[in-house]
Amino acid sequence: MRFVPIPDWFLGKDVLIEGFSFIVLLIFSFLSIRNYKLNKNRNFLYLGIGFALIALAQLATIITKLVLYYDVGPSQAIGAAIITSQLISSVDIFYSAGFFFHRLLTLLGFYVIYRLPRHKKSILDSFVIIYFIIISALLDKGVFYLFHLTALVLLVLIFDNYHALYKKNKFVNTKILLIAFGILALSQLIFILSNVEIMFVLGNIVELISYIILLILIIRILKHGKKKK
Amino acid sequence: MERKRSRMEIISDMLGIIQGRGGEIKPTHLMYKANLSHSQMTLYLEELIKKKLVQKNKSKRGHLIGLTKNGKDFFLQYIQMKEFEKTFGL
Repeated sequence: MRFVPIPDWFLGKDVLIEGFSFIVLLIFSFLSIRNYKLNKNRNFLYLGIGFALIALAQLATIITKLVLYYDVGPSQAIGAAIITSQLISSVDIFYSAGFFFHRLLTLLGFYVIYRLPRHKKSILDSFVIIYFIIISALLDKGVFYLFHLTALVLLVLIFDNYHALYKKNKFVNTKILLIAFGILALSQLIFILSNVEIMFVLGNIVELISYIILLILIIRILKHGKKKK
Repeated sequence: MERKRSRMEIISDMLGIIQGRGGEIKPTHLMYKANLSHSQMTLYLEELIKKKLVQKNKSKRGHLIGLTKNGKDFFLQYIQMKEFEKTFGL
């Protein structure tokens, strides 16, 4: 049974990329919540929750893949159980649950970030919610691309939000944020085609680039504070 | 017409002014630079001292208001928060 379309030489490297993404997302979440504590602006709290959800999604996939690739701990126990009692469905449930939480938390996180600047619900919002719920319910191994398609839709909407903001404020950091989300959207587009192994690798590399850009943004924000100080 | 500054903005302005003066400033200078009345200044200063963000120092020039380490850290966090706020349009 195959959960991840990945070439052997790339095994483990994708986990490192997800580990890096997890750290970047955790820093964003920490900073947002620290800002919320400082000025009680609820938008900071929601942004922190959005990033924390995506970070948790990365953690879920890291744990699942570590068990899957390296056959450690619970995997060995489950493996032994399979040999003795043919409980193949237990393994299926473990891995499926891991990847399901990855998909659900990622989409929820993107949705929270997308909704942030919108105070009133529009028809488009309702459409996104309904689409999101249907897709979440339908998600399965056989239709993996639906997850990436949903993520792509949400990322395009986030990109559109920050594009509108950038047109207003012309702020370099917003431009960097815009580029990062644009590249992240591109990675989802590539993942839609990840039935071909090389596309999975390419998608991961593009995703890594977007998280590197987000890390640069964090450094800029923190350094700017020190410079002004 | 300029909008009214929030409490947080006034506090950060005060800390920024002290920082800009090398970490110490005369209370009267702070009052003028922060554009505060005497009563406002007294209230804010009491709050800042209570929160250990500033302290009163004695010198040959009389009493000075000095920034504490807490004050420096708070001011840094505030600037970073403003940068974050502007980046994400929050």
